[in-house]
Amino acid sequence: MNLERVSNEEKLELCRKYYLGGFLLLPFLWLVNVVWFSLYLSQVCHLSRYVIRSAVGAALWGLGLGVWVGLFQTRRNQWGALGDALSFTQPMGEP
Amino acid sequence: LFCGSWGSFPAPFPRPCVGNSVERKIYIPLNHTAPCVRLLNATHQIGCQSSLSGDTGVIHVVEKEEDLEWALSKGPHPPYMILLNGNLFSRSGFLGLGTPKFGIKSHFPCPGLYSEEHGPEFAHCNGSVWNPLGSGVSYEDFPFPIFLLQDANETETIKECFRAHNVPAVPGAAPQFPLCAMQLQSHMHAAASTVTCMRRSSLQSTFSINPEIVCDPLLDYNVWSSLQPINASGKVEPEKRLILAATRVDSHSFFWNVAPGAEAAVGSFVSLLAAAQALQAAPGALGLPQNVLFVFFQGETFDYIGSSRLVFDMEQEKFPLRLENIGAFLELGQVSLRNDSVLWMHTDPISRRNQSVDSQVRDLLDVLNRSSPGSGVSLADPGVSQPLPPSSFQRFLRARSIPGVVLSDHRGQFHNRYFQSIYDTAENIGMHYPEGLTPEEQLEFVTETAEALAQVGTLLARALFSLAGGTDPTESIRADPKTVTRLLYGFLLNSNNSWFQSLIKPDQKGILGPFPQHYVAVASPTNTTQLLQAVLGNLTGIRLNLSREECQDPGKNPALQSELYEYWWVQGPLDGNSTSRIPGCVRSGVRLSPALSPAFELRRWDSREFSTWTESRWKDIRARIFLVASRELELLTLSLGMLVLLLSLLCTFIPRIPNPQFPNSQTPKCPNPQIPNSQSQIPKS
Repeated sequence: MNLERVSNEEKLELCRKYYLGGFLLLPFLWLVNVVWFSLYLSQVCHLSRYVIRSAVGAALWGLGLGVWVGLFQTRRNQWGALGDALSFTQPMGEP
Repeated sequence: LFCGSWGSFPAPFPRPCVGNSVERKIYIPLNHTAPCVRLLNATHQIGCQSSLSGDTGVIHVVEKEEDLEWALSKGPHPPYMILLNGNLFSRSGFLGLGTPKFGIKSHFPCPGLYSEEHGPEFAHCNGSVWNPLGSGVSYEDFPFPIFLLQDANETETIKECFRAHNVPAVPGAAPQFPLCAMQLQSHMHAAASTVTCMRRSSLQSTFSINPEIVCDPLLDYNVWSSLQPINASGKVEPEKRLILAATRVDSHSFFWNVAPGAEAAVGSFVSLLAAAQALQAAPGALGLPQNVLFVFFQGETFDYIGSSRLVFDMEQEKFPLRLENIGAFLELGQVSLRNDSVLWMHTDPISRRNQSVDSQVRDLLDVLNRSSPGSGVSLADPGVSQPLPPSSFQRFLRARSIPGVVLSDHRGQFHNRYFQSIYDTAENIGMHYPEGLTPEEQLEFVTETAEALAQVGTLLARALFSLAGGTDPTESIRADPKTVTRLLYGFLLNSNNSWFQSLIKPDQKGILGPFPQHYVAVASPTNTTQLLQAVLGNLTGIRLNLSREECQDPGKNPALQSELYEYWWVQGPLDGNSTSRIPGCVRSGVRLSPALSPAFELRRWDSREFSTWTESRWKDIRARIFLVASRELELLTLSLGMLVLLLSLLCTFIPRIPNPQFPNSQTPKCPNPQIPNSQSQIPKS
């Protein structure tokens, strides 16, 4: 989709749809909002409302996932059976 | 064919041309090595682990302790691969390698069934230090790979490479790159403990399309046979009493699949084989009031896998006998290194606190003492207070107080300096052959060791005859030293000899080979178990005049009583000078019983009661040597390459970059903030 050929109203509509969609546990929609539409903040009215909220949402998700991944990678071998149950692939030769 | 050298590094030294593959010009594989692998039990892991693609280090040949120190602290090109001679391979040497960051600690408590609860005299492993000469290195966990070099030529190749490249021209200076390096790869898949690796394996086999099993339990089969035939799928009557004569078959060492176990296992089971043969041939043996059972336990080295499983099967009624049917238990511990022909009779002080058991034990000792004159063995009693040495009998005692004796050549600590070591070989038990004998002559030559072990077999056979209720004089019962020497040759020096070849089935030829070893392993039955089965069948069975079809399918003929006997179609000896053999049918009572720890049957992988030993799986184990360049040269090469890449990218892409387009940057007027759904209110730009 080439955003340059889309009218401003449609851009706003798209941004709003993505913003609402992100609440269905789809943080990448928020990330897409931020990345795509931040270039058009000055052109389209009321776009900033959705872009900023999406940015906040994406940042929170990023932080949460980052913390979880960090914990998992560093602490998994201390979690015993729980760690193995949470893993998709088992590391070979590591506890 | 001229094989020139490639690149800027000369080939280590001239060697015959084997092709023009670049890999063959760089690496010299070491094919005759034995790795140290990872074994796990319920709580710990032991053995060695390498990185996924192998650990590489500059070779350093250590001839004295100071060389080791230099490599560990002062060497200028770490990491090093140390080449050690066997005598430096000791605990102190290893704890030197185990600097605090490795944290090598020993965590195995005293073995056996004695602890404070039996009395204060047994606390702190008192009376239970049986192997003080042992370094305990086999039971440590090392984070680096350790290999055994078994070929003297390969060792010499490595030393030549070291002398050519790694020794500086001026002593004291640092050697110059390129240096000779070695890469050892033995990446183990299992980790932490049996509980972890079995859990992971079961998760994989439940949920994965391509399951990756990471460890296997150690298992094999126990070999058993009886003097009078027993129905293997039936049950012995509860009031019958049998005499059990047992020993262990396996051993272990630091390195995988190298477990000669001469004094630890072979000497004992050879004596028991000789006793079984002598007893079977004794007049009146088949009419004795009580039956005698000969059991050869596998896996005893790893917390008594075989004996604990047999006790479990007896309790679960999966074996023809029950524990109540055992009238007496005689075990052969290590018997090959007797001082002054003395054999010690060890008994269990705890069960002897019970009067009736004590009197039965005394009767047992009396029978043994009465059988010893004339056998060449003198018996001695270490005293009631001394506990039993580590033995399979202890597993039976845990379940029931059975009267029994463990015969061994040592009173307190082992006479075996190389218990569970790669050096527990034929030389360790004093097997010496005169110079210049052919292999066939060596097979038949009766060594002193064979005579001594035949004496032990004689004593055992006579004692078993009397215990089973035989009243005839036993002087005629003698174990045959010729059989013993052939057994020793076959199980310690070369199992591919003419006698063993005649005992096996035609499809079993692969189990024979030089340098036999007796590690229990994870693939069953092992060569040792199969050979033992064939040998016991030959020594205690009879040859029948049956055809091949009748022999291989005895169930068809009810007269053959296939539930009482096993029928084997064996290759037989060579027919005179030709290459064909005279096969035949052998009928015996030799059976196999599973020797897998009950912990795995019950899926209790953290069991403290049963053995939980497993062996890790691995993908590739190999060792090779090659020349390495210095780190600086490697980085330089890499950087040059990256630079060339970037330059070429720039040259190709810069002329092609189009003019960048930026989005329209007009700023529209924004009306009052409303729900921007009605399109008519927003001005079109």
